[in-house]
Amino acid sequence: MLVPTDYEAILLSLKVGAAATLLSLPAGFAVAGLLAFGKFRGKMAVEIVVNLPLTLPPVVVGYLLLLLLGERGVLAPLLHALGIRLIFTWKAAVIASVVVGFPLLVRAIRISLEAIDPALVKVSRTLGATRRDALFSILVPLSMRGILAGASLMFARSLGEFGATILVAGNMPGRTQTLPLAIYDYAAAPGGESAAGLLCVVSVAISVVVLFFHEWLSRRAVREGLSG
Amino acid sequence: MGKGFRPALFLFAAVMLSGSAVRAEEVFVAAAHSMKEVVDELSAGYEKSHPGVKIVRNYGASGALAKQVEAGAPAYIFLSASVDWVERLKKLRLVEADSVTVIASNALVFVGREGVKAAGMNDLPALSRIAIGSPKSVPAGEYASQAMASAKIAKKMAKKLVLARDVREALLYAERGEVDGAFVYRTDAKRSKSVKVLFEVPQELYDKVAYPVALTAAGAKKPAARAFFDLFRSAAPKPVLKRMGFTLP
Repeated sequence: MLVPTDYEAILLSLKVGAAATLLSLPAGFAVAGLLAFGKFRGKMAVEIVVNLPLTLPPVVVGYLLLLLLGERGVLAPLLHALGIRLIFTWKAAVIASVVVGFPLLVRAIRISLEAIDPALVKVSRTLGATRRDALFSILVPLSMRGILAGASLMFARSLGEFGATILVAGNMPGRTQTLPLAIYDYAAAPGGESAAGLLCVVSVAISVVVLFFHEWLSRRAVREGLSG
Repeated sequence: MGKGFRPALFLFAAVMLSGSAVRAEEVFVAAAHSMKEVVDELSAGYEKSHPGVKIVRNYGASGALAKQVEAGAPAYIFLSASVDWVERLKKLRLVEADSVTVIASNALVFVGREGVKAAGMNDLPALSRIAIGSPKSVPAGEYASQAMASAKIAKKMAKKLVLARDVREALLYAERGEVDGAFVYRTDAKRSKSVKVLFEVPQELYDKVAYPVALTAAGAKKPAARAFFDLFRSAAPKPVLKRMGFTLP
């Protein structure tokens, strides 16, 4: 009952979610670290900018991205010079997902970083560990739960991204049509009920799996927190 | 409870209750987006000569509107860009069978910005992206995919299509240059300043674009809806239809 472009939409959604999440991890960790440990002027401004996409309507994010990255956008001369075309490609869907999912990633990592005793880092430094050592042998391992929890939330958010995606990635079956866009296409069509319903089931199933993983992580974190 | 609470409550109540004051009689019209200017003009004239009647308009893809009617959305008059959707509603007894009247027809053209090279259907596979209305719900998109199938380029075009919500959105994509071109109606192309008609799609490649108007089952119960509906079937819309570039049946 599903046509090939529907399967492509499912795969594309997973691909976009994974790419957006993996690409955001380094920057997400850095920003979370900055907000958790940093004391600087304008921290409030950084927090607001980072969290803005959480409260902005996604369609606003999409429209701003379109004004920025569109064929006649602000960055168009630069993109043309570099021979990059983003708009109406799956890369644009990744960018949209990065922007809307980033705050979720940062929040989760930041909470886990704030739970780390700062003395641990100081002690390691007195014992001769470099900043790099402290980062990879203390901060990253101890905040791994937060990193994974944030990544799973961001991935789930990417799967649901619609408002920004439809504006910048368009709705190209087999190319940029993600799962929510395919459902939207069927939902507007008389007689599209069964295909829309089936894709909704797929969507719910993926979300349940991701949230299950997320819950399982946070429970483990709580349990270990209690015993430790 | 703070001091500001009561004024805030009043304000909230005022906002929530506004609009529920005595209302004019509302006539809900669902119309294909390509008919927007025609319906707007007819409505404005009708509201002026019939104070107390408010024409509430909903524009979109004909298929999406038909689906809304099926789902019970308020619509007394349905003006579709395709006979199919009206036929479907007729079978479901959601429109009055004897009310269905074709009031205009249109033609499909391919538009693009200055400099895009396409003089016929066979030039399209060389372009990288074109916009069409989603064929599942937008008649202009249905006609376009029919034309591409008849021209035997459908397979080559499959991955180049950007699906728009309705024909106006397809036009917008071409205007902004996000796509090389778009299939739209001649009437839409006429209204755009930033794109030009690159070629007319030969009529033998697609079904005739006909606009049937129908009175819905809900509308049949409302005298005000019936009165406005009769206007569509009279000679009144002919001048504006002609001016906008539609062909009269």
